[in-house]
Amino acid sequence: MENNLVTTAYIVASALFILSLAGLSQPETAKRGNLLGILGMAIAFGATALICQGYPVQIGSIGLGVLVGVLAAARVAMTDMPEMVALLNSFVGLAAVLVGFAEYLQPSAALTGTDITVHRVEIYIGVFIGIVTFTGSMIAVAKLRGWVPSRAVLLPARHVFTLGMLGAIAVLVAPFLTATGSPGMWILAAMTAIAGIFGIVIVMAIGGADMAVVISLLNSYSGLASAAAGFMLNNDLLIITGALVGSSGAILSYIMCKGMNRSFVNVLLGGFGETASSGKAAALEGSATSTTTGEVVELLANAQSVVIVPGYGMAVAQAQHPVAEITRLLRAQGKQVRFGIHPVAGRMPGHMNVLLAEANVPYDIVLEMDEINDDLSHTDVVLVVGANDTVNPSAKNDPTSPIAGMPVMEVWEADTVVVLKRGMSSGYAGVENPLFFNDNTLMLFGDAKTNVNGILAQLSASTAPTPALAAA
Amino acid sequence: MTIAAPKDNSVAAPLDAAPLGLKVGIPKEVFAGEQRVAATPDTAKKLQKLGFEVLVETQAGAGASFTDSAYEAAGCTVVADAISLWEAADVVLKVRSPQHHPTLDRHEATLLKPEQTLVSFIWPAQNPELLEQLAHQGGTVLAMDSVPRISRAQKLDALSSMANIGGYRAVIEAASHFGRCFTGQITAAGKMPPAKVMVIGVGVAGLAAIGAAKSLGAIVKAFDTRLVVKEQVQSLGAEFLELHFEEDGSGEGGYAKVMSPAFIAAEMALFAQQAKDVDIIITTALIPGKPAPLLITQEMVESMKPGSVVVDLAAEQGGNCEVTEPGQVISHNGVTIIGLTDLPSRMASQASQLYGNNLVHLLSDLGGAENFTVNMEDQVIRATTVIHNGQVTWPPPKVEAPAPSVSPTSPTSPTAEEIPAAKPWFSQLLWPVLIGLACVAIGLWAPASFMTHLTVFVLASFLGWKVIWDVSPSLHTPLMSVTNAISGIIIIGGMLQISNNIASPMTILGAIALFLGTVNIAGGFMVSQRMLNMFHK
Repeated sequence: MENNLVTTAYIVASALFILSLAGLSQPETAKRGNLLGILGMAIAFGATALICQGYPVQIGSIGLGVLVGVLAAARVAMTDMPEMVALLNSFVGLAAVLVGFAEYLQPSAALTGTDITVHRVEIYIGVFIGIVTFTGSMIAVAKLRGWVPSRAVLLPARHVFTLGMLGAIAVLVAPFLTATGSPGMWILAAMTAIAGIFGIVIVMAIGGADMAVVISLLNSYSGLASAAAGFMLNNDLLIITGALVGSSGAILSYIMCKGMNRSFVNVLLGGFGETASSGKAAALEGSATSTTTGEVVELLANAQSVVIVPGYGMAVAQAQHPVAEITRLLRAQGKQVRFGIHPVAGRMPGHMNVLLAEANVPYDIVLEMDEINDDLSHTDVVLVVGANDTVNPSAKNDPTSPIAGMPVMEVWEADTVVVLKRGMSSGYAGVENPLFFNDNTLMLFGDAKTNVNGILAQLSASTAPTPALAAA
Repeated sequence: MTIAAPKDNSVAAPLDAAPLGLKVGIPKEVFAGEQRVAATPDTAKKLQKLGFEVLVETQAGAGASFTDSAYEAAGCTVVADAISLWEAADVVLKVRSPQHHPTLDRHEATLLKPEQTLVSFIWPAQNPELLEQLAHQGGTVLAMDSVPRISRAQKLDALSSMANIGGYRAVIEAASHFGRCFTGQITAAGKMPPAKVMVIGVGVAGLAAIGAAKSLGAIVKAFDTRLVVKEQVQSLGAEFLELHFEEDGSGEGGYAKVMSPAFIAAEMALFAQQAKDVDIIITTALIPGKPAPLLITQEMVESMKPGSVVVDLAAEQGGNCEVTEPGQVISHNGVTIIGLTDLPSRMASQASQLYGNNLVHLLSDLGGAENFTVNMEDQVIRATTVIHNGQVTWPPPKVEAPAPSVSPTSPTSPTAEEIPAAKPWFSQLLWPVLIGLACVAIGLWAPASFMTHLTVFVLASFLGWKVIWDVSPSLHTPLMSVTNAISGIIIIGGMLQISNNIASPMTILGAIALFLGTVNIAGGFMVSQRMLNMFHK
């Protein structure tokens, strides 16, 4: 009776999780979606609380977990969301490892025959996915924080090495199936150690620009780790939730890869920047026209439609707040101002949207690349703030370019393009950008924040008299 | 795409090397009725930014409503007469080609000194004697009408900027001579039909005329021998008249070429038919180096409704209309024929501003005041320079100037398409076969309990795949944090493993898992809510 009640609760929770993700489809319904997710979690938790034991330990762990989680969520800066997500991925991975070990020590149900074998395989796979998620995510966090170099770190003969590790893991499953007690424990621990190193090695080999794919992929793995835990614990709620999260991460990784015109395998085998810098991209020479903040203000004053194309450089320079303020001023003058977001702008999917939302930019003027590309030819001024590879015309025009075929924002179609950039250096892909030498491109060199603040100061100075008159 | 050649090319002749603090002189235009000026106070400021000192002849901007004091306020020096201005300036900027100076009673060309640079409209093909006379003076002359039509030189293209204004003004002139409204309207007093405007020749002027007529509310039709402009015409909301004739009139440099007799006959038939219908005809057809083609015959004009207007923008080159009298507005059989040749000058303020900007860009390309050189290696500068240190350098050697190509065929695209097709058949079958084998293996050996779980897993994956694709890309970061939170559901595993025996390894492992999962749940949901609260319209 009690058991059926719990199962029913789990079914309700599964449905709520699905509705939660469906709610995220639109900004209008997203908050409700999140609340449905919380409700589903509360129901699942309440039902489980009915049948579990050891309440002091339960309450202690949960209390500590809630405290840490709430503190982290309240304090994390929006620029650091990739680290936060990677860290939370790693926790799920580690939890799956721990649940796997505990399950080995004392199976939750009495099993016989092939059921034991299947159960062992489930534990083995669950622990493997969990530990790879854990160590891989930890390295991702370290790379994003700059604790280890963000460039691709490649071991000599690493393909042999990684294949060897995978081989060892595959071979160890045979003795594990028949072992009992502590020998089995040792085999599981040995596999965990090898798989942990495997996770470290593959993520170390991935360059900084590809971290978005890695985070999405590890997000998917964390779902699979939950699902694997569901298989070993005979729990459908875990399986459903894990499958949902696994699909979500897989789709995000796919979108990111498509945004860079690369395949999963290509990303995982690593080293975008490394392979490209030796590429044969035609060396460009020519003169880039540099400009001043004063001229940019004049351009903006005469423009009717403005599109701002931000890249991660904007977030690095913390320029999103003054950019948002410029947007507000220009919109107050009746100009059409919109943002164009490339799928891989930022350090994780949708990151730039969150940063702009934080800076109070209304979400309905923040458009995706496909939504705005056709409009760029009717745009007076495009401001490119801290983006490079995502606005590179060679991706479209130069079939020999290393980034050929990658979808890009066609900013060069606009009447005038202003590129805010530190210097003439190339972007993550190591590819020269002919956009900078175009006749309708003006380069505003220097720190993005200083320049954006300069534009903002002159713009607000020129618009200040109007409110003063209105007040008088 | 075009990439500018490096500017610090040292091939330039030594004579061009000028000392710092170069002076730019802006004389008053002497051509009768000319209202424009080669620099406005605004462009004079830009010239100063390039390092030039700017001298302006007194009253130079009067026709374009720029006072001497406005120039002074912009940091220019006002000079009392033309002679001292030409005397002091290193670079003289003019609009009209040098003319006989009425007050000085000598030709402006005789004021040019060696080592001085004159920038102006020259029309070297039409004025060979003037070119000869200027060369005799020994200076350097750049002709704004000889700027090549390539994309890099667009910012210098004064012909285009003047044509743009001319096209706009043509509509305004037509409207002022047309006895009806352009826009259609139904009022209590009766119906006003919209005016019908036909624009022949869709270059810069034609496009400007279409835009202006359209925004006044007229029904606009346009014709051009170059089929590439069809899209531009339609994007302005006008109708493109087509002949259904297999001949494209795109010539070199984006200009039109002379068409075959059969084509011209068909074209004339179209015009004759349209002339009876439309109220206003604006013609802008020019072929470089040739007299303007005759498009509107006297007969066509006579077939037009009384009160109709023809504006002939090609009047200066002989006119597209048979009855046009250059420089005059005449009435023929009740039809007004406008042959004015000074349309840009009639909008002197705006025209001066655009022309001034063209000149600023040219001087900037010449290196500004500090590195001022006439670099004959630069394709644009080479073509624009008609006299270099007393030597006639016009016409420039022919360089390939590509017309906007209609169908560039990329040699690499076919090979790129072949690659997927060449994929061996077995690699396409690889995955289905592997999945099939896995299914068979699972079906033969897996126990029943595993099968139900697998069913749930596969179905949930497909459901997730469908649901997640609907998520707006702008919410992908919150999506990830929500999935972080819900994958914290793994706490259920931890909770069930904790027993009352606090010291057992299972309880310890379970407790840690529970802690980690709870961090995920609390942190994930809360940070999602925090982010979603930021999204607002």
